Amino acid sequence: MISRNYRSLISKNSIKRYYLSVASDYFPNEPLKPEIISETYPGPINESKLSELAKSFDHRAAYFVADYYKSIGNYIADVDGNKLLDTYCQISSIPLGYNNPELLKACSSKEMQVALANRPALACFPSNDYESILKDGILAAAPRGLDKVWTALSGSDANETAYKAAFMYKAAKKRGNSKFTKEELESVMDNKSPGAPAASILSFDKGFHGRLFGSLSTTRSKPIHKLDIPQFPWPRAPFPSLKYPLEQYSIENQKEEERCLELTEALIKEWPDSIAAIIVEPIQAEGGDNHASPYFYQGLRKLTKAYEILLIVDEVQTGVGASGKFWCHEHLFDPNDPPDIVTFSKKFQAAGFYYKLPELQPDQPFRQFNTWCGDPSKAIIAKTIYNEIIKKNLLHSTKKTGDYIFNNLETLFNGKFFQIVKNLRGKNRGTLIAFDFNTAKERDGFLLECRKNGVNIGGCGDTAVRLRPSLVFEKRHADILLNIVEESLSKLY
Amino acid sequence: MSISSQYYPDEPSAPTVNTTVIPGPVSQKAIADLGKVFDSRTVYFVADYEKSLGNYISDVDGNVYLDLYAQIASIALGYNNPALIKAAQSPEMIRALVERPALGNFPGKDFESLLSKILKVAPPGQDKVWSGLSGADANELAFKAAFMYYQQKKRGYSTEFTPEEEYSCMQNQSPGSPQLAVLSFERAFHGRLFATASVTRSKPIHKIDLPSFNWPKAEYPSYKYPLSKYEKENKQEDDRCLAIVENLIKTWEFPVAALIIEPVQSEGGDNHGSSYFFQGLRDITLQNDVVMIVDEVQTGVGATGKLWAHEHFNLSPAPDLVTFSKKFQSAGYWFHDDKFIPNKTYRQFNTWCGDPARMIIAGAIAEEIVKHDLVEHTAKVGDYIYNGLAKLADKYPKDIQNLRGKATFIAFDLESQNDRDNFLYQLKLNGVNCGGCAENSVRLRPTLTFENKHADIFLAAVDNVLSAKRQ
Ligand SMILES: Cc1ncc(COP(=O)(O)O)c(C=O)c1O
Ligand SMILES: Cc1ncc(COP(=O)(O)O)c(C=O)c1O
Repeated sequence: MISRNYRSLISKNSIKRYYLSVASDYFPNEPLKPEIISETYPGPINESKLSELAKSFDHRAAYFVADYYKSIGNYIADVDGNKLLDTYCQISSIPLGYNNPELLKACSSKEMQVALANRPALACFPSNDYESILKDGILAAAPRGLDKVWTALSGSDANETAYKAAFMYKAAKKRGNSKFTKEELESVMDNKSPGAPAASILSFDKGFHGRLFGSLSTTRSKPIHKLDIPQFPWPRAPFPSLKYPLEQYSIENQKEEERCLELTEALIKEWPDSIAAIIVEPIQAEGGDNHASPYFYQGLRKLTKAYEILLIVDEVQTGVGASGKFWCHEHLFDPNDPPDIVTFSKKFQAAGFYYKLPELQPDQPFRQFNTWCGDPSKAIIAKTIYNEIIKKNLLHSTKKTGDYIFNNLETLFNGKFFQIVKNLRGKNRGTLIAFDFNTAKERDGFLLECRKNGVNIGGCGDTAVRLRPSLVFEKRHADILLNIVEESLSKLY
Repeated sequence: MSISSQYYPDEPSAPTVNTTVIPGPVSQKAIADLGKVFDSRTVYFVADYEKSLGNYISDVDGNVYLDLYAQIASIALGYNNPALIKAAQSPEMIRALVERPALGNFPGKDFESLLSKILKVAPPGQDKVWSGLSGADANELAFKAAFMYYQQKKRGYSTEFTPEEEYSCMQNQSPGSPQLAVLSFERAFHGRLFATASVTRSKPIHKIDLPSFNWPKAEYPSYKYPLSKYEKENKQEDDRCLAIVENLIKTWEFPVAALIIEPVQSEGGDNHGSSYFFQGLRDITLQNDVVMIVDEVQTGVGATGKLWAHEHFNLSPAPDLVTFSKKFQSAGYWFHDDKFIPNKTYRQFNTWCGDPARMIIAGAIAEEIVKHDLVEHTAKVGDYIYNGLAKLADKYPKDIQNLRGKATFIAFDLESQNDRDNFLYQLKLNGVNCGGCAENSVRLRPTLTFENKHADIFLAAVDNVLSAKRQ
């Protein structure tokens, strides 16, 4: 069992607010604290469930077998009846907490049943309500300036369809008004240029964009994702490696960003006529929660404009509110000069990409195409998510909770753990907060200790811990988290 | 009582077409509106799924069509099937939707029973599954499994990666990211992401302007029909194509790790291969250590008169990987050899690793198919349609050429693309929604609850359109 000295961290004010919170509105029965009831952790039922699963499914990455019927709000239940405060949220993909009543309503609706039982080939036989589902949901949430969307099925799929749009756009521009040549039409059937050109997507060191063949070619975070898989020989630029605390290293960090921009420009010149797009995350998430400043991103925007390259911002992990703005890149870009394409998935449940230029829709139909072209049932969920975020002002509350967590972690880490935990980052980025340990082993030990104490936290990169709570994670949840972080560190160190 | 009347007591008894053009005016306006935010140039008409029922699809103009295209071959049981609606209302479903899990990390407690329902209809010889989200996704996941398997076999399943491999793969270079190929066939269709577009060989429009892997392309047999008359010629054709495959595997500039093939090439024109040809491929892949992937995305789930079309070939041993999507609603690949599970975690992985909501639907579809013997049913209805079309082919030999197919998975050719497109349009005006494939083929892809009574309507419409064309 865990001790309960988190009380000391709860101010009077927060006790009062507690009853007014969105989370208690949604989840009157949300547990007040984690409950670890199994004698050992992970518990015995978990172990037996996993071995059953092993017969037909690769279960080795499973942390535990969850009981989604009993999960509620910010708490995930496992099959042994343990309830953990969840700051990982299905790898950053649960926006409104478990068992959210509004989502339950949407998913019990007639609209949803029809969408599930009759999955359309959307681009051939769209349903009469698809336009309004998009307009009131995915499109209402569109980043400023990007008013069109193409829907897909996952983060990798979203990025790859965006790459396809970029490649076709680039080739069409070069071709001008003329038609495909006979040579192009013939060579492409042998996978040879000019029909299948040696075009490329530039990505950044430590970037993560997915695991299919095009997206994997741009993923640069870890060998384990890439080993043994053939990939495209595409260029890779360095991503800034900032020093923390930022205030202390502003000169060094700007130099670092300049260095990376210069090397990116050099690469562009080295690969003339090849690069159709640059893809970048607003925060490199899987690669270790690496941040760069607006200076870097706006520098990239300038470069891509100068060299007529499209800029794709991958918001698969950072999008949909966790940064305190709906899209994280809104912290980084000049609102009048947004990226060309923004991709999304995870927390939005629906996936796809936003764009502005009409020419990013290929000149002929059936070029950007597949059987399903998205999934209306997920678009309905996305609509509900968007509406709840706006209605409940969750961007604002996420920003506040994030600031609160950040400030408290800063105090904690500057104290007796300053040699154990470093590089606290994510200030002013809502709850997208991370910090490093010295080694992967120390980090993993910390994560396990936190789980034993009742908080589910995820890692990223080699040595980082990342927070990815839902948008209904509030101060009182933060207090429990902070307390268990402190407790776990105290126990380990 | 027939299965469709059990499921759909209120199913229309005939199509209704109220508009003189298709898409009708309401559809046209909806297409234009949608077009402002979503590419809608490929839209045939805007459907009203709440009003669609059984084998009939409704559009927003109030037209009701008998549907032989079924969302590009992806509706198994018909619209608003009560068993699927029930599944959609179930607590499991609502759970799966509201709490979509990252399955690889946090599978839910009912996940195993979900899987076991799906596994009940696995093809012969397969007892494991890895899930994806679409046909292209399923195939690319299968390629990844094949590449990892191939390299692990070479390296030793448990042998650690070398530092050089780890370093070079981050540069997208060998040896860590090796040059390995997937062999596919002319006219094949396997999807439109980068690796799948590389093995798709049906039409330039799917591939052009995309960077592509330098992978080999063999020939898929082109038979003479009727098959019974040209046995000798067709076997020669099989042998010729097998020799090409073997030669490509032996001579390609880098190793061929896998071969992917459709039991019937669907998008590419409903081209059929014989059991002899497929067993020949199985033998060659075994002899040359090439992973054999059978793409059942379009052929799977009953329409050919077997649950999985490659069952017609009685392959021995079973193929290594079999991919599925479309009519099953859930996607992924079947396999049986444990060695296709990579030696380390997070190699075959992504956020969601499938979608339990779609798996629940797949489980319900599987259950209904077995319970009502829908595969057997489809085989019979298919014979009925085939015989009807054969008669019409005698009457209109120019417009129904090369009639071919198994069960309801039937196709025929018209004289030209223009003829075919007109034919399909006229069919719509006659209340039948039907699809084309390749340049001048028509393919039938009705649901598994399509019956003789529906076939009669379809055959009458074909007769009607072709006789009008003659005049
Ligand atoms: C930034 C980013 N892009 C793309 C992806 C890939 O998404 P998926 O796993 O849904 O394919 C991820 C997944 O972690 C991601 O974090
Ligand atoms: C045989 C085959 N494989 C793969 C695919 C690709 O499936 P999806 O469109 O779901 O990506 C198709 C789609 O038509 C297909 O027919």
